[in-house]
Amino acid sequence: MKIYWTTINGKSLGMYFLLGVLAILAAAGLYATYAMFSQGHYITGMNNQIPWGLPIVVAIYCIGLSAGSLVLSALSAVFGQKEFKPFARIAVFVAALFLVGSLLSIVLDWGRPDRVMLPFLYLNPRSIFSWNGFLYSSYIFICIVYLWAMFTGRDGWIKPMGILAVCWAVGVHSGTGAIFGFINARELYHSPLASPTFVVAALSSGTALMILIIVSTFKATGRFLDNRLITGLAKLLGSFIMVVLYFVIVEYIVRLYTPSTCEPTRFVLFGGNLYTYIFWVGLILLGSIVPAIILFNPITKNSIPWISFASLLVVIGVFCERLIFVLPGQIFPLNLFPDMEMTSSFMDGQITWYQVSLPEIAQGLGILSIVAILYIIGLKLFALLPTEARHLEHEL
Amino acid sequence: MKRRDFLKLGGIVAAASAVTPASSLLYAGKTTTSAIKYGLVIDLTKCDGCGECATACRIANNVATSPDNEKINNYWLRIARVKSKFPNSHEQAIPLMCMHCDNAPCVHVCPVKASFVRKDGIVMIDKHRCIGCRYCMIACPYKARSFVFKHNEGFSNPDVPKTMHGVVEKCDFCVTRIDSGRMPVCVESCKKGVMSFGNLFDPESQVSRLISSGKVHRVREDLHLGAKVYYLGL
Ligand code: SF4
Ligand code: SF4
Repeated sequence: MKIYWTTINGKSLGMYFLLGVLAILAAAGLYATYAMFSQGHYITGMNNQIPWGLPIVVAIYCIGLSAGSLVLSALSAVFGQKEFKPFARIAVFVAALFLVGSLLSIVLDWGRPDRVMLPFLYLNPRSIFSWNGFLYSSYIFICIVYLWAMFTGRDGWIKPMGILAVCWAVGVHSGTGAIFGFINARELYHSPLASPTFVVAALSSGTALMILIIVSTFKATGRFLDNRLITGLAKLLGSFIMVVLYFVIVEYIVRLYTPSTCEPTRFVLFGGNLYTYIFWVGLILLGSIVPAIILFNPITKNSIPWISFASLLVVIGVFCERLIFVLPGQIFPLNLFPDMEMTSSFMDGQITWYQVSLPEIAQGLGILSIVAILYIIGLKLFALLPTEARHLEHEL
Repeated sequence: MKRRDFLKLGGIVAAASAVTPASSLLYAGKTTTSAIKYGLVIDLTKCDGCGECATACRIANNVATSPDNEKINNYWLRIARVKSKFPNSHEQAIPLMCMHCDNAPCVHVCPVKASFVRKDGIVMIDKHRCIGCRYCMIACPYKARSFVFKHNEGFSNPDVPKTMHGVVEKCDFCVTRIDSGRMPVCVESCKKGVMSFGNLFDPESQVSRLISSGKVHRVREDLHLGAKVYYLGL
């Protein structure tokens, strides 16, 4: 079967309304960012105990969404799952967009975003951030070349580009996990499992987000979508969730078992604080168990609304996973004198909460809105969507 | 062993030796060839935690100060109070600052090499290069670093650089004073003679003598960071 690619019309009232709302959110985000720099970063929730707050969570979350969808596009090109070909273009496009979103979030979180070119001028080969600067920017470039190969019909390029993109996605995610995993100073960061967990969490959130994007975009633009394609993706999603869950369990059991990391781990798992709920309710129950039940249950596993609901839960669950990853490691104080009690006027030895601030939320929403606006503009300008997505089986 | 296998083995060895220099990027600590390496010895048996060094440090180094918001009140030097978990245990005051690690994690993680170890061992920040990513604050195990949260007017000491909104600051052993032949301000301001500063490579210096007594410890030696702030009576 030949796939015909088209742009969207994008002239409906609903579309203008949606774009208007997104534009307002984006403007609010930019204004919040401006306020941080003109008034000072003390208006954010961060402080000297918690230097990384919501913007870093949003950044690594966007990176996760990005690589997952790229892998999806490679399913048809690299792993021979030809039936997913109708989604190949849109998935690569979304991957590139979320990478742009995450870069925006990182750079706008810096104290001096005007120095954005410096990481490229002064590479530090020992810094994971330097590696990531290289990995992220080359990743966008690879996505663009990959898209170009698809658009211009250079079939010989597609497979090698797909393989390259998959390898790069694994690299980008391992690199992102390494930002935390390589930090020896913090018990809740230091872990060789950080990188692999990031890779699988990315696969799971990326696939879930692609399901949501595909279902809603096809519906909104009145395109035919074969249910079997979505149930195929849902099967993948189910197994990704299980792998994430397994990794998380291994990680936390090792930490509980080790005397030096036991205390901070108990603080997260059984401390009865916000992060305890985010962990058990957000990540484990709603983010993993409920979607797994939906996706494996014979009654619900073939229903598109149920699958969409499960995907939504996974997208939220992985966000919770990111919160758990970034914040408690800073909230729980550094252990300067093991087995001793320590106090000071500089918040030493005490738990310091992170109170998320309005500017940070506005900035995060603004960046996600910019990604959404770019997505709509992209659909309008480029032929990213197939006229219809049919399972190829009967043709073969 | 067949000839082919032998050649294969040789190839692997050659490849491995080509990779080694690259892998050294990942771990080996940089060794300096300088004849000077500065260090500080703090005699806790004499320290009563009066905090004069901390006040002097704040004034002498233009440390960003927000008395009204303790969350963003920066410290280059702070006095921690430490005691064991048993009742009636003695509370020890411990001045804490940047430990000027030889294997400094903050320097390892800095994406723009704004944090660096000077030849004489002082860990410094180029505040004209720092992008304010705060990765170094995440990586430092001693919480030695503070972020400058806002633009500050008014500076207590015109001889040292002003703070700059959006970058990270920390103790630099009062590098401007050292370079003009003076002692760090904490050493000078302490009336009890708690602190000694000097060249660790000079066997005659007071720091070397105190360290060779064998009674000094460093905070979290288990991390192998080569900290150059030593404590007597820790
Ligand atoms: S104490 Fe912290 S800031 Fe100072 S050199 Fe070591 S890691 Fe860097
Ligand atoms: S905040 Fe500045 S000194 Fe610290 S790692 Fe980032 S660029 Fe380097």
